[in-house]
Amino acid sequence: MMKEFFEAATALNNKFVTRWKLNGKKVVGYTCSYVPDEIFHAAGILPFRIRGFGAMDTTIGDTYFGPFICSLPKCMLQLAGEGKFNFLDGAIITPGCDSMRRLDECWRKAGKDIEGAIPPFFFHYGVPHKYSDYTVKWMTEETRRLIAAVEEHFSVKITDDDLTKAIKVYNHSRMLLDRFEALRTLDAPPFSGEDALAVILAGTTMPREEYNKLLEQFIADAEKTSGIRDRVRLMLVGSANDDVELVRVMEGGKAIVVADNLCFGSRFYSDQVDEEGDPVLALSRRYLGHNDCPRMYGDYRRRLEILTQKVAKAKIEGVILQNIRFCDLHGSENGLFERDMEARGIPCMRLEREYGPLVETGRMKMRVDAFIERIQQRRAVA
Amino acid sequence: MRKETREYKFDWMLWNTFASAARLKSGTDKEFRTMLKYIPYFKGIVEVVLGTGEPGQKFIEICAQYMENLTFAKERGKKTAITTFCFSPSIFYAMDIVPVCLEVISVMMTFAYKRGTAEFLDYCNEAGFTETSCSSQRGTIGAYLAGIGTDVDMFVTDTPGVCDTNANAFSFAAAYLDKPFFQLDMPPDLTGTRSNEYHREDFKALIRFLEAQTGKKLDPERLKENLRELARQDEIIAELEDLARIVPSPVPVSYNMMVYASRFLFAGMPECTGVLESMRKVARENAAKNISGLSGGVEKLRAFFCYIDHYAQNMQFWQMLEGNGICYQGNILSHYWSPNAPYVADYHKEEVAYNIDMTDMDSLIDSLGMINSRMPMIKSIRGPYDAPNMWLEDTLALAKMYSADLIVYNGTPGCRNTWGMVKLLARDTEKAGYPTYIMYADAFDARVQSWEATEERFMEFLKVRRLV
Repeated sequence: MMKEFFEAATALNNKFVTRWKLNGKKVVGYTCSYVPDEIFHAAGILPFRIRGFGAMDTTIGDTYFGPFICSLPKCMLQLAGEGKFNFLDGAIITPGCDSMRRLDECWRKAGKDIEGAIPPFFFHYGVPHKYSDYTVKWMTEETRRLIAAVEEHFSVKITDDDLTKAIKVYNHSRMLLDRFEALRTLDAPPFSGEDALAVILAGTTMPREEYNKLLEQFIADAEKTSGIRDRVRLMLVGSANDDVELVRVMEGGKAIVVADNLCFGSRFYSDQVDEEGDPVLALSRRYLGHNDCPRMYGDYRRRLEILTQKVAKAKIEGVILQNIRFCDLHGSENGLFERDMEARGIPCMRLEREYGPLVETGRMKMRVDAFIERIQQRRAVA
Repeated sequence: MRKETREYKFDWMLWNTFASAARLKSGTDKEFRTMLKYIPYFKGIVEVVLGTGEPGQKFIEICAQYMENLTFAKERGKKTAITTFCFSPSIFYAMDIVPVCLEVISVMMTFAYKRGTAEFLDYCNEAGFTETSCSSQRGTIGAYLAGIGTDVDMFVTDTPGVCDTNANAFSFAAAYLDKPFFQLDMPPDLTGTRSNEYHREDFKALIRFLEAQTGKKLDPERLKENLRELARQDEIIAELEDLARIVPSPVPVSYNMMVYASRFLFAGMPECTGVLESMRKVARENAAKNISGLSGGVEKLRAFFCYIDHYAQNMQFWQMLEGNGICYQGNILSHYWSPNAPYVADYHKEEVAYNIDMTDMDSLIDSLGMINSRMPMIKSIRGPYDAPNMWLEDTLALAKMYSADLIVYNGTPGCRNTWGMVKLLARDTEKAGYPTYIMYADAFDARVQSWEATEERFMEFLKVRRLV
């Protein structure tokens, strides 16, 4: 079963996508966790979280983006230019951050230069930067605009009933992922952080019903598995990470990542969508309000409390606060987290990295090992 | 940070620097020349700005006034709000709050001190703020993070949806210093019912926030007074922009910077109007005599800067333009989209311009929302660069209106938003026939690229493109 999760997590056009397409069905990609998958599920379209995984260079990305830009959207554009996203029938760009939102123009221009680089349906989904009554109203209208565009382009009808059914499917998934997270944070977790990330990532690239079945089976098996002991318990926080290899490098044989606060991780599946009332409003409330990203300015204290609670619940011994170079949102918030969590006695390590092939493995490994040693010494003293 | 730098409040130091500079011309010319020997670095700006006569004198005076207001805000019982250049300060003045504009203060420091803002930029990193963030905010915010500025009461910005690194600087500093924070969020569209409604509701929320922080209700009469003065300023700016279209342009090179800086500091206040009026007087006189505003008197090229200027270090950027006979036709910072602005009429952008309506409180709030949403940068880089009313359209319209021979982009490496699309913009402006140069310097930090290297590369571009 892990093999299937790993395949879905480490191959773009994985077997689930291929099978879906062979059945004549559509796939729409999106770049940010603020896009409600449920809309596409309700339309019979596979929602697919676009990633930059597997890009070996950024020559195409650098042609359109300037130099001082995060390597994640550059890698995404690279893959698009190389035809690796040709299976996509559509793409949704959101202003998750400035680098990511400019993927809109860069991809459109690349689409003019490179035949087939851009999918036929291309949509900019404007997401506000704060949560209030009028921002929820905006988000709701924006979601209706997206629904109308999907309906028109793909000649489908998305009814409230369809949306409510989709919400239920995804809520079931979220409930399973809560159980999965509870296992992950046991004193002896039955699977590594690397495996955990593969399981979570798979959910963003495969049909949800199949995913739920696999996940249920995985959880049932994991509950019978003896756990991993005597490793330093880490939490991974910060910029987007969709690379299981990165977690493998960090864990080595000495540590285990038992919790995260990542948009490709627990931030993506935490909290249910209200199943009662207007489904579009319910989706808008959940996706705008329960997605704890530093792009939501002025909300640091709440995020700190969430993180602190997670640390306590998962008995975290050290927090790795990583950010991709030029990711100022996570980079700066990591600085605040470090100050405030160290003051609360929680060891932290800040790590700046590049997205993409693990070209900095040695440097990163050495720093993480030193951090683990620091925690082990702390253990010995205690 | 050096121990000496922590000895005095940085804003008090800056106030003294500009207050002294404002008095330099009060003596004889001989005394003035003698004084310059004692300010070997600052004399670079003093000579250039005061050399423009009355406008320069008034400009230095209002810079000193701004810093005085900030330095003594607490003694005078006023609240202070750290804010940004693209946030119209009208609402603060109407509510008796002292605005603290980070970017303008950063420029004052890069102008005045040889070390520029280097120590404060670096202190931000010590405090946990990323080194890749925009230097325009870091240059001043580092001083506040280090606790060597006047006490601040709140942070207010309007850049979410426009510029992450700007918004993030405010969000970070508010969290670091544990101060109240408010953001005006900008949707990707400028016009339309949805955007208008969003701006209105957001501005109402801002007023509620400011009233809660100050304990005072917004006085509509004070606000009206400010907006009436703002409209007067708009008229003068529109005339200056119109005058700048004449060939040769009668508007001196440094005026554009003084226009936008005055506006950022004192929008809707008589201090700004005074500077603008004195600049208009000189520009009118030059136009009547049909002489160029360039000190050399010969206009060889007309350049439009599609983003910002280069402030590090001193005023060498403007001197370079002067020295090469390059008539500087403004940048993104000097355009406010008032209804009487020449580019509004010329390009039939009436629907984009803001209107000041003082009928009742709701119309006042709508006016403020519109003014703010059309501030430099807020207007043109909120949506896709090639969308209607956005960066490309504005750049091409302004370059055409000013008969520009070339377009130049200059910013900071921290400007994630424009670096995400400037290559595309340059491709389109080149296609439209404008040689376009992308500068890789940092407008606020000469350590990224020395001024000498910046100048050399700029001149190389002019030569390669056979513009000189």
